[in-house]
Amino acid sequence: MRSRLVVLIVALVTLPLVPLPLVPTARAQNALVVSVWGGNWKDTVDKVIGKAFTAKTGIPVEYEVGGTIDRLSKARVSKGNPLVDLNFTTTHVARLYISDGLYEKLDLAKLPNAKEIAREALRSDYHIGSWAYVYTVVYRPDLVKEDITKWSDLWRPSLKGKIAMPDFDPSHIITIAALMEGGNEVDWQKGEAKLKQLKDSIAAFYSTDAQSQDLMKTGQGPVQVMLSVNAYHLQEQGIAVKVVQPADYPGVVGIDTMAVMAGSKKSDAAHQFINLALSKEVQTELVKALRAGPVNLGATVPATLKGQPGIFASAAEWKQRGYIMNDEARAKNLPAWREWFTANLVKK
Amino acid sequence: MLATRDVKLALLPALVVLAVFAAALGSLFRWSFLEFVPGSLQTGGLTLANLRAVLAPQYLATIRDTVVLSALTTLLTLVAAYPVAYALARTPSRRVRSTILVLTLAPFFTGAIVRTYAWILVLGNTVITWPAPMLFTERGVLVGLVHFSMPTMILILAAALSHIDPVYERAATSLGASPARVFWRVTLPLSMPGIVSGGLIVFAWTLSAFPTPELLGGGKVKMIANVVKDLGLDSFNWPGAAAFAMLALALTLALLAAVGRLTAGRAS
Repeated sequence: MRSRLVVLIVALVTLPLVPLPLVPTARAQNALVVSVWGGNWKDTVDKVIGKAFTAKTGIPVEYEVGGTIDRLSKARVSKGNPLVDLNFTTTHVARLYISDGLYEKLDLAKLPNAKEIAREALRSDYHIGSWAYVYTVVYRPDLVKEDITKWSDLWRPSLKGKIAMPDFDPSHIITIAALMEGGNEVDWQKGEAKLKQLKDSIAAFYSTDAQSQDLMKTGQGPVQVMLSVNAYHLQEQGIAVKVVQPADYPGVVGIDTMAVMAGSKKSDAAHQFINLALSKEVQTELVKALRAGPVNLGATVPATLKGQPGIFASAAEWKQRGYIMNDEARAKNLPAWREWFTANLVKK
Repeated sequence: MLATRDVKLALLPALVVLAVFAAALGSLFRWSFLEFVPGSLQTGGLTLANLRAVLAPQYLATIRDTVVLSALTTLLTLVAAYPVAYALARTPSRRVRSTILVLTLAPFFTGAIVRTYAWILVLGNTVITWPAPMLFTERGVLVGLVHFSMPTMILILAAALSHIDPVYERAATSLGASPARVFWRVTLPLSMPGIVSGGLIVFAWTLSAFPTPELLGGGKVKMIANVVKDLGLDSFNWPGAAAFAMLALALTLALLAAVGRLTAGRAS
């Protein structure tokens, strides 16, 4: 009996170490392969853009899903012979793709719908916006009694131990603190002293959208610097969160972008996909599905979302209601921001 | 007896794995000496700047915190797991043994992430109101790590205890030793090989723990793996991440060698 127990124990201890067989994904030969985040992002891209694209062109669409950096790593190791044809990623991470020669220059002649989009969504010769959102203050009024109406309210002593914010990318709060002190994302050091005052107010830092939403749901982080899209998603789930349109400084805009991978053999199809994604009709559907701001200024925004943070319906709103960081400064400063943030706000 | 040729053949798969692992480590080593260019994935020339950077106080503090948390986790896991392992190995009842085994193995089938999310609910003030904050503190992370390590420690200790012939304990008892004395003078020393191997395994894997401190630490408790991820995946500083990983690997190997050396005498 004892020897059998030993064998069983050894087998069970080593069981988790046995890897699953790696089966390469089989893809249809003529399919356009799109790289995008998983979950709701992929489902929405497929439902709103992919299906319409296939119906229009007859070209099937397949997806490579993963986190921002997983997909970047895969793109790097397959440079010159990409596994995907078209990539979705945030605008400052796109700068890393561009710096490594992973993107093909966009042919604007093949993107007639690009003429209808906000100037701010034309990010570079290589990548173009697909939708926008803001990082702003979001809170649960049932757990925070005083109204929060501006960024500077985060410094209230009554919010001690209640705030959660992203640690993977502290650029939003760093930029806001710098703006408060007369600086910006380039001379961000001006906001250092102001930021340090927030240290005791922070309950937790989150690394993923899911963590952010969990912190809000459980009440562990009832006041957050949060992605507007995630806040609207929580509202849909019945969590009563308030998304603040800050009165002092605007929300910090994030733009997700599309690009054609350098070396793709389906560059034309990828351009068609992007052009379709930029059309008024598809943009209208994207707003409804994602609760994100359209980049096409002619897209229809549902009445319930009009004027909400992160939803820009006109050229004027793009200018006035969101702060857009310089992509290059953001990509270059991010490592230094994270290091400073960890040393001064995260560490005990 | 196996012939030398057979031994070589038997070792071949392990050597292939070792070669791949060595190549990956070699690549990591090379990356740790490449210059990081902020805002770019391209690297510059060879430099020692990454190694100098990871010797900054905040990174050394992470290594210190990781070692302390790992040592505490090992100790607490041992204390919590030993009685369960003893019951598993010594109970005459098949039903009790099956129940303990099922309860011990159940966590293996739920996955680290699910278990850790459950701890978020328990350690937060949602289910229990704790007298001191637990979630997003070292205390909370310690609880999660001990829970994560317990099943393995129980199984290793149970295997060691099941190898001890009860005749030794009966002999001690018949010579007048009290149950406590029997335990301290006979059972515990004879189970030392299990304690050492279980302790080393728990200590080693806690040194590289990632999901538990990531989720239960709320970004405030950072262990080595979390900082490597932060540097590599959030700051895009792959040379920095490689340098910190190499430093951590060197320290881990040195620590494990020291612990192994210290305990070798006791285990034999």
